[in-house]
Amino acid sequence: MSLLDLLALLPVLILVFAATTILMVGAWYREPRPLIAGGILTALLAALAAGMVAPPVSEIAGLFSAGGYARFFTILWSLLAAAGLMLGGRFVEDKKIGAGEYVSLLLYGAAGMALLSSATHLLGLFLALETFTLVFYILIACNRDCEFAAEAGLKYLLMGAVATGFMAFGIALIYASTGSLALPDAMTQLTTVSGELHAWGLLGWGMILIAVGFKISLAPFHLWTPDVYQGAPAPVAALLATGSKGAVVAALVGMLAASGPIWHDLVDLIWLLAALTMLVGAFSALAQKNLKRLLAYSSVTHMGTLLVGLLCQTSEGLAATTFYVVVYVVASFGAFAVIASFADKRGEPMSFDDLRGLGYRHPLRCAVLVLLLLSLAGLPATAGFMAKFTIFHAALQSGYIGLVVIGVFASVVSFAFYLRVAMLLFQSDKPASTWHVGSPLEHAVLAVCSSAVLVLGLFPGVLFDLIGRLLP
Amino acid sequence: MTELTSLPQFPWLSLLVVLPLAGALLCLMHSKRPADCRALSLATSLAVFGVALYLFICHGQGEGRWLLYEDVSWIERYGARYVLALDGIALLMVLLTSFMQVSAVLLAWRVERQVSSFFALLLLLEAGLMGIFLAYDLVLFYLFWEVALIPMFFLISVWGGANRRQAALKFFLYTLVGSFFMLIAIIALYQIHGAQSGIYSFVIGDLLQTQLTAAQEGWLFAGFMAAFIVKSPLVPFHTWLTDALTESPAAGSLDLTGLLLKTGIYGLIRVAFPLFPNATESFLPILAVFALVGLFHAAWSAYHQDDIKRLLAYSSISHLGLVVLGLAAWQLTAWEGSILLMVTHGITTGALFVLVALIQERTGTRSLKELGGLWGQAPCLGFLFLLFSLASLGLPGLANFAGEILVLLGTFQQHPFWAVIALLGVVFAAAYMLRLVQGVLWGPVYKERSLPDLTLREWIILLPMAILVVWMGVYPEPFLAPMHGAVASLLAGGLP
Repeated sequence: MSLLDLLALLPVLILVFAATTILMVGAWYREPRPLIAGGILTALLAALAAGMVAPPVSEIAGLFSAGGYARFFTILWSLLAAAGLMLGGRFVEDKKIGAGEYVSLLLYGAAGMALLSSATHLLGLFLALETFTLVFYILIACNRDCEFAAEAGLKYLLMGAVATGFMAFGIALIYASTGSLALPDAMTQLTTVSGELHAWGLLGWGMILIAVGFKISLAPFHLWTPDVYQGAPAPVAALLATGSKGAVVAALVGMLAASGPIWHDLVDLIWLLAALTMLVGAFSALAQKNLKRLLAYSSVTHMGTLLVGLLCQTSEGLAATTFYVVVYVVASFGAFAVIASFADKRGEPMSFDDLRGLGYRHPLRCAVLVLLLLSLAGLPATAGFMAKFTIFHAALQSGYIGLVVIGVFASVVSFAFYLRVAMLLFQSDKPASTWHVGSPLEHAVLAVCSSAVLVLGLFPGVLFDLIGRLLP
Repeated sequence: MTELTSLPQFPWLSLLVVLPLAGALLCLMHSKRPADCRALSLATSLAVFGVALYLFICHGQGEGRWLLYEDVSWIERYGARYVLALDGIALLMVLLTSFMQVSAVLLAWRVERQVSSFFALLLLLEAGLMGIFLAYDLVLFYLFWEVALIPMFFLISVWGGANRRQAALKFFLYTLVGSFFMLIAIIALYQIHGAQSGIYSFVIGDLLQTQLTAAQEGWLFAGFMAAFIVKSPLVPFHTWLTDALTESPAAGSLDLTGLLLKTGIYGLIRVAFPLFPNATESFLPILAVFALVGLFHAAWSAYHQDDIKRLLAYSSISHLGLVVLGLAAWQLTAWEGSILLMVTHGITTGALFVLVALIQERTGTRSLKELGGLWGQAPCLGFLFLLFSLASLGLPGLANFAGEILVLLGTFQQHPFWAVIALLGVVFAAAYMLRLVQGVLWGPVYKERSLPDLTLREWIILLPMAILVVWMGVYPEPFLAPMHGAVASLLAGGLP
């Protein structure tokens, strides 16, 4: 690895070095606030570096891309880590969790996500995926007061181990049939002269797809999701629902863009997965009585919709998917952030009984929550609408009318459960108990998320154009 | 169109949308001072009314289809533009909206709970409605279409009656399902047009040029109709309306019946008919059947209601049947009658909902069984109730008659049979309205109670409506004149 490579890797290096330093400082110095402030500054610095320092090479060690697309997501995940730290401050203080560990884990996680979104090599993909998955094993279980935490951590660990197995096996099969692990290469080698896929290669791809299915909770690999989100502290669940999934999807977009139409033989399978995921997510969410579980199923539905965009394989579809990822990340993260901002020593308000009438006690934040939920539902004038619109638009262009109809149906169903929460918040049958007023940092996160949802909903052109230029 | 866009002009149309939005924001910012919020929303809605009145007086008599047109680039990448256009029909709807909004704000004056949010939602609803009536780009149209749902949903679900949550959800999901079909049709139409001409655009004026096969046209038309029929609502997609109207707070019912119902029919006129003339042609007889069935079914149901709010809800559906019948006749007089009837129905039924709210405030009930003898207890209230009821059943000389007679005349010219059946329906209307009047105004007093007559605020709400109802009944010409050009060009653009 040359010096130029290292310069191109600068944002990730900033994250990793700062994470290590903070971890070591945290061992001696237990005051949480300066550590968290340091972490936030580091994440912002990494985002700045990714945005300002033009990488001198286009690829790093043949494993990761240094192109505009990769840097775009590096910025997004760094900012997300910063937001996660802003949310986690009070949680760390209340639960007496080592701030050094928390900060460094989040920064490592961001580094892993950034690398994953820029992977151009199956090994790079595998390494990056494991980097942030390992982080989450710890973060999910870190709240020792919560009865579900250990169980959630264990569930995620088992699921992760299975997914890793599938992933490794899939990669091995692809390597066996093509002799290459570099993505464009492996993809082109995968097709025989007659234009068909190698059987082993196809099986390998199927296995990778299963692993991905576990990671981004596609039905029927989604069963762990609600339990884990419920058990994980809200700031962690926020990252888990957005960053860890978004990074995988971003990697898929990159891989597809690099590979051309090799998914041909998998189209039926993906079609089925997408349809199933959208429907299962929407209908399961209807039955929930807990906001975090509801958001978990909501994320399942959204991943199904993303898969529709990926299925298109056109540049239109990939751009739509990328836009959707950003919008989903902002809205979903914001929704978890609202829960986190309410959290106090008792825990987090997440059962519907806790939410009833909360809108009268905390009108502003509940209004923000309603706005974000409406964006997740896809109401016009919010970013969620534009995101769904572009995905369905691309799908219609590629001729997947059936999927669009299913997607629209799932959207209608999902409106029902998002609106139920909105109504609960403004039910006045009995006065709600008062929750924490939230710290300024948390309010800042909410302000950013809600204004982003509105701005992207009314003026999506800016982001569209940016993505159009960046797409590999 | 082009010569209008090239002229730099004051964005009056945007002002109609932005003013209520600004008012809503200001209300939210003054959430600690309810009195300020009331004054603010009144001032805002008066200002919007002023703008609408100005447009009516100064631009109402313009030549050609468009009186005003605004066109600004919006989402370049997808060819969606911010296009607002005002023709004579839109002008009437805008005028009606802004007028009813002032009444709604005054009616909501006594709301005690979450005052700032209530008024903010009311103003947001106005902004959405204005957008629907003005948008001439399908994405923009869809955006406003959905935006108008949210305030109504919250108005019902937070401030409504006992079954408010269920009613709100039903209202939302019904209209949402309809509009999702419209969304798919919008995207598909855009694709087809883009593939044909190479110009990707959502502006209705551009999409009019699209060449469609019969099958394509049928499917796309069906998509749009799904949204408009549910919103109108035609029987059998009307059940959400009775629940929503019954449960919604007074100002909400006023807006719902006076304005929101009109958006569906307006969508037919502005979007569905012009875009798909061939499909429209073959669909018109079916539409007439829908309309007639609705007319009778709703009138029949209205007759059997005990809750006067429900009765009025069904009467609305019945009247809308007549409006739709006029459109289905595809004839100039009938169309003008339909559009006039939309406006007059908005005012009369709106006024009746106001009166029902006042009666409920005073007596605590809306049941016909428990009401009676109002005439003797509160004569002014009783007089106005009688006036609007008579207007609603189509008494000559009052507002609805003008519209109804035009609809029937026009329909008779094209399809005498339809008109004769519809005439029977009008008789039905007399039956249930008289039952309503009989039950509320006369008869034995169910429970002796002292009923205060109209207060000053209530007079201020109702008197302008009463004057309008008489004026539009006696001399509707000023309201027919502006739409003449627009209706003529719409009918000429379509086929039948």
